[in-house]
Amino acid sequence: MSPEVFIVAAAVVVAVVIVILLFKAVWRVAEPNEALIISGLGARRRGEGVDSLGFKIITGKGAAVLPGFQAARRLRLDTRAANLQVSCVTQQGIPVHIRGVVIYKVGDDLSSIANAARRFLDQQDFMTSAIHELFTGHLRSIIGNLTIEDLILNRERLTSETRASAADEMSKLGLIVDSLQIQEIDDETGYIANLGKPHAARVAAVARIAQAQRDQEATEAEQIAEANKAAAQRDAQIKRAAYQAEIDRAQATARQSGPLSEASARQEVVVQETRAAELEAQLAEQRLQSQVRKPADAKAYETVTLAQADRDARIAQAQAEAQETELRAGAQASQVKLAAAAEAESVRLRGEAAGAATKIAGEAEAQAAQARGLAEAQAARALGLAEAEAIRARAEALKENQEAVIAQQLAERWPEVVEAGAKAFGNVDHMVVLNGAQGVEELLAKALTLGGTGLGLARALLDGGGRNGAEPRNGAEPHGRSGNGSEPEIPREPAESRE
Amino acid sequence: MSGGSAVVGKQGRVTGKIGPGLVGEVMVPVRGGVEAFYAHPSVPDEEFGLGTIVVVVEYFPPRTVYVARALV
Repeated sequence: MSPEVFIVAAAVVVAVVIVILLFKAVWRVAEPNEALIISGLGARRRGEGVDSLGFKIITGKGAAVLPGFQAARRLRLDTRAANLQVSCVTQQGIPVHIRGVVIYKVGDDLSSIANAARRFLDQQDFMTSAIHELFTGHLRSIIGNLTIEDLILNRERLTSETRASAADEMSKLGLIVDSLQIQEIDDETGYIANLGKPHAARVAAVARIAQAQRDQEATEAEQIAEANKAAAQRDAQIKRAAYQAEIDRAQATARQSGPLSEASARQEVVVQETRAAELEAQLAEQRLQSQVRKPADAKAYETVTLAQADRDARIAQAQAEAQETELRAGAQASQVKLAAAAEAESVRLRGEAAGAATKIAGEAEAQAAQARGLAEAQAARALGLAEAEAIRARAEALKENQEAVIAQQLAERWPEVVEAGAKAFGNVDHMVVLNGAQGVEELLAKALTLGGTGLGLARALLDGGGRNGAEPRNGAEPHGRSGNGSEPEIPREPAESRE
Repeated sequence: MSGGSAVVGKQGRVTGKIGPGLVGEVMVPVRGGVEAFYAHPSVPDEEFGLGTIVVVVEYFPPRTVYVARALV
């Protein structure tokens, strides 16, 4: 390789690079979302008259721009958005505060691009504020033509109004409105909220009704399910209980079978034992019969027989004795009768004899008594005489010791003294007593004092009393003698003997 | 103008009601895309509802067209 080749190659490369750089500097390409506005030398299009403004619009392709002779500016055709906030009133006069957005772009036709380029090419960021100002006024008039219901619901009406009010002015600016959106409506009077309330209430009512109905259905279904469940549980428990009962019964039967068979076996044993005991009892009875009863019977029979024989013997003996006694009694009776008759006769005869004897004895006794009386009378006279002698002797003695004797006598005879005093009053027919009972006592006392003091009277009394006292003493003596006398009792003795 | 001649005679779909006193809108395919134009009836007192197919009779720059009922 020679150095010349290198130089040539380098020169070529440099030339190429220079060409590329030049081309890059000259050639401009319009992208799909922009338009190239070329003004300057040779920018006037062919066919355009003198009234042309003299710039060239390039869209979608490239163009050579001669530096220094031409100027190329780019106009963006993108969609732009402007936020709007408007306080206005609706057709019904309701104040609302609207927040919205308008979406717009530069029109795609050359006229719109030309209009926009002439207005906004150097102040594309200003476009938004200009649109904002423009659309604020338009939106106010648009809202003023609409009701809130239209605003919310009638979208076609909104776009139609937007077009009607803003189309011409937007055309002047070379812009087109893609969309106008109402983002938010602030309703100070609560109109929108009230609009929704009936529907909301209705919907709420429907919702509550539906909820209540579904709740009711669900509850009913739940209850039915519960009832079914309970019924199923009940059935299951009943069946379980029945099966358990069968099991218990079987178990009980099984449990009882052992003791039952044991009991039945035991019963058999007991029956056999009972029979054995019966047989033993019979054996014992038979043994007793043979060992005790038969001998006892024999002994009893013997005793009875002996007793009967004894009794018969005694009866016979008694009968014999009775007969003997009877005969003896008869014999004795006849003997007694005869004896009695004989005795009666003898008694009678003896009585007669005794009577006669008594009579004779009585007569004899009478005579004896008469004789005895006489004898006694004489004896008494003799006694009296003797006593008289004694009294006389005593009287003589009294003369010597008179007072003592009189006092003694008085003491002994006091009742009789009183009687004698009283007798003194007995002779009086009528006696008037003064002073009542006291008077009588005084009279008696005087009489007695009189009598008592007078010894003569006392002596007379004594004499009377001595005569009276002697006679009773005489009378008393025969009385005592008659009680002791044995003579009158003698005749009685024969009568007692008779009995 | 090449843009203006491109629109006239083309059919479009009404997207905003066209009628007397209204500014309607019609979507017309043009320049490889579809653009919206402000539309008015070419015959006065004629109305076109949404979705109606119309034909562009006249074009007034920048964005206004007059339409007539398309004979589809």
